[in-house]
Amino acid sequence: MPMASPSSSVRSDGAVRTPLAVWGAVLAGPAALLGLAAAGGANAGAAIPLALASGVAGYVLTRRTLNRPADPAAPAPVPAALDHPPPFALILETLPDPLMVIAAEEADDLTGRRFVFANAAARELFKLQPRGGLLVSALRSPQVLEAVDESLFGGVRRSVDYVGGGAQGREWAAHCAPLGVDERGSRLALLVLSDETDARRSERTRADFLANASHELRTPLASLSGFIETLRGHAKDDVGARDRFLGIMQAQAERMARLIDDLMSLSRIELNEHIAPLGRVDLAMAAIDVLDALAPQAKEKAVAFDPVLPPRGAAVVEGDRDQIVQVIQNLVDNAIKYTPRDGVVRVEIFSGLTADMAAAPRDPGAARMSLLTPDHAEGERYASLRVSDRGPGMAREHLPRLTERFYRVEGQKSGERSGTGLGLAIVKHIVNRHRGGMTVESALGEGATFGVYLPMARGDSRDASASPSSPSPLST
Amino acid sequence: MTEHTVKSYGEELNHLTAEVTRMGGLAEAQVADAIDCIARRDAPLAQQVVARDERLDTLQGEIERKAFRLIALRQPMAVDLRHAVAALKISMSLERCGDMAKNIGKRALILTEADPMSALTRSIERMGRLVQGRLKDVLDAYTASDLQRAIGVWGRDEEVDEHYNAIFRELLTYMMGDPRTINPCAHLLFVAKNLERIGDHATNIAEIIHFELTGEEIVSQRPKLELSK
Repeated sequence: MPMASPSSSVRSDGAVRTPLAVWGAVLAGPAALLGLAAAGGANAGAAIPLALASGVAGYVLTRRTLNRPADPAAPAPVPAALDHPPPFALILETLPDPLMVIAAEEADDLTGRRFVFANAAARELFKLQPRGGLLVSALRSPQVLEAVDESLFGGVRRSVDYVGGGAQGREWAAHCAPLGVDERGSRLALLVLSDETDARRSERTRADFLANASHELRTPLASLSGFIETLRGHAKDDVGARDRFLGIMQAQAERMARLIDDLMSLSRIELNEHIAPLGRVDLAMAAIDVLDALAPQAKEKAVAFDPVLPPRGAAVVEGDRDQIVQVIQNLVDNAIKYTPRDGVVRVEIFSGLTADMAAAPRDPGAARMSLLTPDHAEGERYASLRVSDRGPGMAREHLPRLTERFYRVEGQKSGERSGTGLGLAIVKHIVNRHRGGMTVESALGEGATFGVYLPMARGDSRDASASPSSPSPLST
Repeated sequence: MTEHTVKSYGEELNHLTAEVTRMGGLAEAQVADAIDCIARRDAPLAQQVVARDERLDTLQGEIERKAFRLIALRQPMAVDLRHAVAALKISMSLERCGDMAKNIGKRALILTEADPMSALTRSIERMGRLVQGRLKDVLDAYTASDLQRAIGVWGRDEEVDEHYNAIFRELLTYMMGDPRTINPCAHLLFVAKNLERIGDHATNIAEIIHFELTGEEIVSQRPKLELSK
């Protein structure tokens, strides 16, 4: 706790104790370590490829040594059976699962629990200082704190769920095990988190997919079978009707195909949502590609584009190119659909904004809503994309629900080529995967503006916003 | 409390902060569970939420006593005094958040008896997650003494209001359309109002943190993009 108080160093007397003492305790109770390996074991298959090479070697070695069937009466397997004792400190430090050793003295001093060791994964997850500190400064979930207490003072093992906050919402299983008492009389316990986001999310996504698919496919399917029945029945010899019906049937079949495509891509995106994308994408270049690809469609409706783009290299974001293109495409495609004939779709890209600036409203008169807000990241700069149409606009009460699957604003038709109702949901999930944000502004009768902002790639393009050729949103 | 250990002044101050953080964790869990029991129509969870509120009240009482004791015996000055007062004030805000969560739990119990209205509960859930995120952010800012993060929470308080207004209109439309929905919709309206109040408490806590760290009130222009036509 960074508290500026006269004696702020007092707190650290326990924490400063060299980790060696802790290792002593860990080694003295290898049975507890066995528990750690077993707890981590469930996740090891997925986790091992991610580990550093040294970590992998150490991890596998430890598990092999410790997972031998142990006779409970016999002394636990001692690492000394190896020629050289493996570097336990390094192994724990490089484990992919967050791990902490917690110390406490008195049962009723609830806030006195502190962590005396946190490995690299734990420090990264909870943004901790390596020198130790109070446990509540790392995590304050009551369930986990209770489980830790039971391990410290009840001497039992506990496993509880822990949901990390934030936009991507990682889900963990927290395993606690007692580590006995160290030579100073402090009780020690081990806390290991294993990431269960993948397993739980795929379960939920499968259920959602089935529910959505069965519900939404029913309508076109019913219409198809209706037409087939008619064609086999009284319209059998009516050439005109047959042509017309076959046309409708084809449109319905195409709609079903589009729906399945969209549902599949939504499921795929959702499953990867907690894994940040690798790679760099120039937002402006991607936008130019999308505008080129959608030009025929715009021409058909006599809709013109009005792009305001920064020069090459000024708006480079961290991202997956195909997904970024899909975001721009879905937004521009929507804008074309809702813009009346001879209208204009405006596509603007700005760079070098803070999160507050990127999410700030443009037109104070319009209704506005943040559809997605990224987790706070210190000093992050964003590139933002805004797509405005001159369509009918939406009333305020519709805005929060726009990214809901299959949500449709009443009384609005998106035209002949009706969408699947998943476009904005897909945009939202992609943007969330990219740690970005999404806003919408709309005034009835004056159109709508969708904004998406994504973290800029670190490094070379950071000061691009200072270049005079890049339009600044504050001065236009 | 065991009194045989003589704690130093700094340690006492740190413990007060830690105590408030722990209470924050409890309040967060209460709010999260309250939203869950609305979203999932989970009556047993709602009963737990209602029952658990007492723990927050007890904790608040303890923090209050400790803060008073510290102020009386140690007579802290300047930043130390602000720490103690901030702990006192934040614990009061958190206790109120707990009360709101309890009230949502009570209403969730009634709502499980009515027909499900998934479109509305989804909107409430969305607003709830937003409020929950703000509470988490502001408590993270408190534990890390992170001024920028606190200011960030403070600057984004309009979002919750927007959601509340949207839900208000949505509920009105439902109630006008079908008078049978008036009873559950009225409860949902209070749930939304409670969530909005929790959001206000998060803003309030951000202000307290700002004062604690700087000794000054927050005064800054909220960021706005100018109209570009």
